[in-house]
Amino acid sequence: MNSLNRSISNHITLILALISILLSIFLFNVFNQILQRYEKTIIDNYSIVIVSTKPIKLINLPLVKSIHELDIKKQIQKIKKKYKNIDFSKISLPLFYKIKLSKLPTPSELKQLEKDLLKYKFIKRVMTHSSAQTKIYNLLMLINLITKTFMIISGILGFLLIIKQLEVWKLLHSERMYIMELFGAPFWFKGATLFKIAFIDALISNIITAIIIIFIINSDLFTSVISELNINFDINLFYQFGLLFFISTTISLVSSIIVVVWSK
Amino acid sequence: MAKLIIAKNLTLAYEDKPIINKVNFTINTGDFVFITGKSGSGKTTLLKSFYGELKPIGGSLMVGGFALEAIKRKQLSHLRKHLGVVFQDFKLIPEWNILKNVMLPILIAGQDRKTSEHKAREMLRKVNLLGLEHKYPSQLSGGEQQRAAIARATIHQPILILADEPISGLDEYSAEIVMNLFEKANKAGITIVIASHSIPHNFSQKYRHFHINEGKIHELS
Repeated sequence: MNSLNRSISNHITLILALISILLSIFLFNVFNQILQRYEKTIIDNYSIVIVSTKPIKLINLPLVKSIHELDIKKQIQKIKKKYKNIDFSKISLPLFYKIKLSKLPTPSELKQLEKDLLKYKFIKRVMTHSSAQTKIYNLLMLINLITKTFMIISGILGFLLIIKQLEVWKLLHSERMYIMELFGAPFWFKGATLFKIAFIDALISNIITAIIIIFIINSDLFTSVISELNINFDINLFYQFGLLFFISTTISLVSSIIVVVWSK
Repeated sequence: MAKLIIAKNLTLAYEDKPIINKVNFTINTGDFVFITGKSGSGKTTLLKSFYGELKPIGGSLMVGGFALEAIKRKQLSHLRKHLGVVFQDFKLIPEWNILKNVMLPILIAGQDRKTSEHKAREMLRKVNLLGLEHKYPSQLSGGEQQRAAIARATIHQPILILADEPISGLDEYSAEIVMNLFEKANKAGITIVIASHSIPHNFSQKYRHFHINEGKIHELS
């Protein structure tokens, strides 16, 4: 019974460590994808309008994707009708341009862009507008930052657990590996038991992680958030699980190889 | 007779402190050798050098055609496949049963499980342990564990068996059985080197006696 308990606790350490790492990686990927897709949906609606005294063909700034002149003839006609006493031929009217951006700017990037644009003497005004969508995006960015911080912490804790497990493995398996070495056992033979444990633990942690992932992505909260954001979020679970299986197997096998090399 | 172990000006040390100092000797194929000396004289140190656990810091040591002062890991692994090592504390793998423990050297040699099992059972029959093959080392007496260790050391028909204090801690009856097993192995052509505090008084077979004293080895007649 004691040896069974010991065996379970030995497996649980690595399994828990792997689950925390795998979930961190998966959620990291999911958040990135959600943000990227949401950014894509709102970037097209996002633009900056500038007022210039000179015609502009090109603005060489990193965030600027393209620039188009706005057709304001209709608005001018309306103003002319309204203010008939003003001689518009004597007034030099400014030019209006719409700037499309290559990516959705963060608030600080936007401020910097405004400053950079105003450095051009012919640009008299820069009009930015933060829509409800960009507010949601900024909120998502904030949630993303907090979540990623937690994920990194849990990933680090996972790795610390694995290091602890390596020490336990060394204690448990070094005597057997030493005896095998005395009889000329090759590397793979000495490590066979550890490699088997590592593979089984990787497999178990993958199954548990897969169940948690399926539960998360089918939860009401997750599906409603995705539909609220109005994005096309079709995650390739087959690819994701394959990737996670590769990562967990690599981590656990590398850990077991470290123990075999370390025990020499 | 072919020379199996050749030591020339061999010096062995622990943490730079010489234990065996510039000794010369040879051990031939088929010899039965006792290495005696008081505690800490260097018996285990010398034995360890024979299976490559300890590298000479001076001179040369040839075992089975391999120069151990400059042996590579792969070559050492190859040499060890032809050696059998027996320890005072048996060094059986605790989480394996006796059958699997005895099978170890031939599994390492690449034999399939079925043949290995068959050979291990045959070996256990020879050392009178048949019926206990599914027991774990902790379930056996010291004498039984040592017999299992000898079965493991001989199953792959090594050229040389190295035994470090194999009968220390065993009762007289078990010690006699163990020594008989070494005799049988020697009669089958295996060279035996035993490091021991003393030579069993009822040991009747022809043997060579190396005595270590103050880092030097003297062959006693």
